[in-house]
Amino acid sequence: MAIAVAQEFITEEDDLRASWYSLLARLLAAPADDSLLALLRGLNGDDSELGGALRALKAAATTASPQAIEQEHFDLFVGVGQSELVPYGSYYLSGFLHEKPLARLRDDMALLGIARGEGVSESEDHIAALCDMMAGLITGDFGEPADLATQRKFFDDHIGCWAPRFFENLEASPSTVFYMPIGTVGRLFMAVESQAFEMAA
Amino acid sequence: MSKKKDVESVGRRDFFRKAGLGAGAVGAAAVGLSAEEGNAETAKPASNSAGYRETAHVKKYYELSKF
Repeated sequence: MAIAVAQEFITEEDDLRASWYSLLARLLAAPADDSLLALLRGLNGDDSELGGALRALKAAATTASPQAIEQEHFDLFVGVGQSELVPYGSYYLSGFLHEKPLARLRDDMALLGIARGEGVSESEDHIAALCDMMAGLITGDFGEPADLATQRKFFDDHIGCWAPRFFENLEASPSTVFYMPIGTVGRLFMAVESQAFEMAA
Repeated sequence: MSKKKDVESVGRRDFFRKAGLGAGAVGAAAVGLSAEEGNAETAKPASNSAGYRETAHVKKYYELSKF
């Protein structure tokens, strides 16, 4: 109800941007479940680079088994002792978890009226959480849809400064089949967002 | 001033279209975007091996937070 009203005020391209952020959030929050895999198999990419990445993702979703995906997810993000990647802003920006970048994020979240979900144990600077927040800012989950300047500030301060590198790392990881095209999609989408924000300056 | 904004908006719209944002028809409905799913930092785990994964996650959280 609130979402339907908010979406009356956002453009089609902003709706698309939000859904790309939401897709990335869903892909990275947890190993892909059956419904997400079904969604991915239904995608159709066009001739753009992003479209090509979607087609690769669709192919990966078609061939990878759920068990293999869970294993990839575990090796990449959980690990026994050490995971391959640590998808948190603090880690990329300061070398440690739960550092000043997280404190700055929490301050901004408070200003924007964003709260961590109940029962969520991950810190707020997880890439999936940040993507969810961007989607929410665009569509007006936390109040009015955020204006472009607010979106850009949030992107620059908390996402654009590290997420492109994370997606590059994901794309380049030697041990992934399913998660590699997710890295590609993320890297390309981050570039699109960065360039688009530059245009709006 | 509003004219400039219109020109900029058109520029952004064209840019997004060329970039392929409409590529997979990834609509909000398709992705299941909803008010309740905001801030889904940890999605609900799959029915099997949920216990194992939770334990590994928790162990990792405590291990890393020792810093």
